[in-house]
Amino acid sequence: MTRSTRSLALALAGVVLASVASAQTYPVRPVTLLVPAPPGGGTDIFARQLAEIVSQTAGQRFVVENRAGAGGTVGTTQVTAAAADGYTLGFIWNSPITTSPHSLAVSYTPDSYRAIMSIGFSSYVLCARPDFPATTAQGLLDHLKANPGRVTFGHDGVGGTMQLAAQRVFRKLDIRVRGVPFGGAGETARAFLGGHIDLYGGSLPPILPHVQAGTARCLLLTSAEGNASLPQAAGLGAIGLAAEETVLWWGLIAPRTTPAPVLTRLEELFVAAANTDGFKQVMAQQGATHRVLGSTQTDQLIRTELTALGDVAREAGIVRRAQ
Amino acid sequence: MSTVDLMLQGFATALTPSNLFLCFVGCLWGTAVGVLPGLGPLAGMALLLPLTYALDPAGAVIMLAGIFYGAMYGGSTTSILLRIPGEAASIVTCLDGHEMARKGRAGAALTIAALGSFVGGTVSIIGLMVAAPLLASWLLAVGPAAEAVLMVMALVVAAAVSSGPIMKTTAMILAGLAIGTVGIDQLTGEPRLMFGRLELAEGISFVALAIGLFGVSELLLSLDEAMTERPKTPRLRELIPTREELREATPATLRGSAIGFAFGIVPGVSHIVSTFVSYAVEKRLSKTPERFGHGAVAGLAGPETANNATTGSALIPLLVLGIPAIPSTAILLSAMQIHGVQPGPLLMTDRPDVFWGLVASMYLGNVMLLVLNLPLVGVFVALLRTPMSVLAPLVLLVCLIGVYSVKASPFDLWVMLAAGVAGYLLRKFSYDVAPLLLATVLGDRLEVSFRRALTISDGDYSTFAQGPAARVFLVVAVVIAGLQLGAKALGYRRPKG
Repeated sequence: MTRSTRSLALALAGVVLASVASAQTYPVRPVTLLVPAPPGGGTDIFARQLAEIVSQTAGQRFVVENRAGAGGTVGTTQVTAAAADGYTLGFIWNSPITTSPHSLAVSYTPDSYRAIMSIGFSSYVLCARPDFPATTAQGLLDHLKANPGRVTFGHDGVGGTMQLAAQRVFRKLDIRVRGVPFGGAGETARAFLGGHIDLYGGSLPPILPHVQAGTARCLLLTSAEGNASLPQAAGLGAIGLAAEETVLWWGLIAPRTTPAPVLTRLEELFVAAANTDGFKQVMAQQGATHRVLGSTQTDQLIRTELTALGDVAREAGIVRRAQ
Repeated sequence: MSTVDLMLQGFATALTPSNLFLCFVGCLWGTAVGVLPGLGPLAGMALLLPLTYALDPAGAVIMLAGIFYGAMYGGSTTSILLRIPGEAASIVTCLDGHEMARKGRAGAALTIAALGSFVGGTVSIIGLMVAAPLLASWLLAVGPAAEAVLMVMALVVAAAVSSGPIMKTTAMILAGLAIGTVGIDQLTGEPRLMFGRLELAEGISFVALAIGLFGVSELLLSLDEAMTERPKTPRLRELIPTREELREATPATLRGSAIGFAFGIVPGVSHIVSTFVSYAVEKRLSKTPERFGHGAVAGLAGPETANNATTGSALIPLLVLGIPAIPSTAILLSAMQIHGVQPGPLLMTDRPDVFWGLVASMYLGNVMLLVLNLPLVGVFVALLRTPMSVLAPLVLLVCLIGVYSVKASPFDLWVMLAAGVAGYLLRKFSYDVAPLLLATVLGDRLEVSFRRALTISDGDYSTFAQGPAARVFLVVAVVIAGLQLGAKALGYRRPKG
């Protein structure tokens, strides 16, 4: 054995040993948690809180890095393309993986990454002003059905999860409303409160203070269940459409070929972190519902939702563009 | 409890040692991100947001708000000294501020900017205290139709402000509008002019474009221009504005405060639009409009005050409605929500400590900023002694870091460099790039609000002349355009600029 082949053999042995060791002692160095959203939103807040808890239980820093852009698809692409060593993970919300692929030619599919776990969800909601003719979910749907294409409804943007969530319900009931896209729930809320559109469609936090102040009345949620903070709003279950639930949810993903022992360890760490009282409280403050799912269930959720929203998007005339 | 009692309670909150310290940190960091090109209040607040998770809500909001209004102070520094806008609201400051520096009045310009910032900032806090609920209802009256008319009005103002010939200005505005269409169309989801680059989905980065067109092009120009164009380093006694300069600045500062405060409630681009409007107003009212673009004191004082005066009213949509109207206040919103504080109609009664503590801290912060910034004038002016061969690479590096820090996108660096070369060529052929930048910002909003309004009205164009807000904007636009055309018809010639 020459010196060079011997050192090569040693190096190879070292690599093998190191990879075995990495699975047993992971993590041995700081882990990067990519968040495909800018700082400050729900996704960022949850990621930072989880990173804080896991840093303590895992004995290594989990560092959040924000990679916003193109509705989260830029950061998600970076996660799927990262080295699969367990040191780059993605904390995402569902839109870039189950909604954007219907309108944007993203490079990833559910087979490009591994779902590790998810923490829970926040429902979208439809609200009317107090002078709106309907005061219940059924009344609202009857009114919309009786006035096809006449009622204006503000949403988060064409091809976005919020629009598809509402459209998924409307198409089941054969209802036509005039959708008006805004840049986000805050803009929608402003136009709604100013009386420029009839219905608010968006997430809960921007509209909740106005419900409390009596200037908005929320009638229908896009989750199957109702929500304790909005007693007047019905969940989809109450109108017999529980199967059409579309909500905003958050979870953890890793590059596809990440070693199985590392994935198992991450699932343990993050499920435990999400189940702490402190984290439950953070979620409650953001108006989100705590519902922790493991790897298998989260993967199932992604695939079902991707297919269902694909059907809705196609019917709404949204096509995947080659850019 | 009366407002005075609440205000005193607010001062009690703001004057605790820890909150006073946080206010100072916010103001200091705000000045720094304002001074550094590329890093604006948004990036500065986003960087420190995670730190506030450990603070109490009043402290968190006090510090982040300090960054927000502090950045408006710092932004003028590089505009005046180097003709590189420290942040977007300081673009107009470049026009006359830098000309003053070239005449050796850099110190005076910086002092006037600091004093104007103080007046504008303070006026807008008083306005916030007194008129918040009223202004919030005005804000709600501005729907998509009125917003579209407002954007047209702002474009007319941009055309009126520009010192270039009308054809060249129009060309720049059209180019800006075209650049504004890049990205995924919000209303149909259609990708436009993206050439397969996912990085362009949200459009061309405004920061990269602005720093490129103004900053990088300025560096390129300095390479081939004779050094005679460099600003002169003033002697120490020249740092103080003359009585004549102060007399010219005072009315402009007062008008700038009013304009800035009124425009602060306009969603999205208030701080930028207010500076252009203030500049146009000062130029119109001036007895010597030909001096604008050549170091007119009013052309510096008005806009520099206006951008600070937007800070108080920009907080109104957030504090009164719980709806942030600009990205910076969206960061404040999440800082509050992290601590379970929900801004909105009930904030003043539910959490008076947060609301009044914030208002009180803003008074203190503005005083701190003035005290902080006036001695810095001397330090910054000393920068001009640095030879360009040393300064230029350093400034370019800071620009690169600033642009990269916004989204950590290498693509944006190429956008900045390309914009720099384009800006260099445009300015060589004496095109004014300011209208292009403004049109880029406004065009995007103009298009979506125009189409939104037509969706709501079901294709009825009369919607643009309905409602008080739309009518007011429409009248202003027609008056400005009319004055412009009238002046032309009467044979008034703009001085060469």
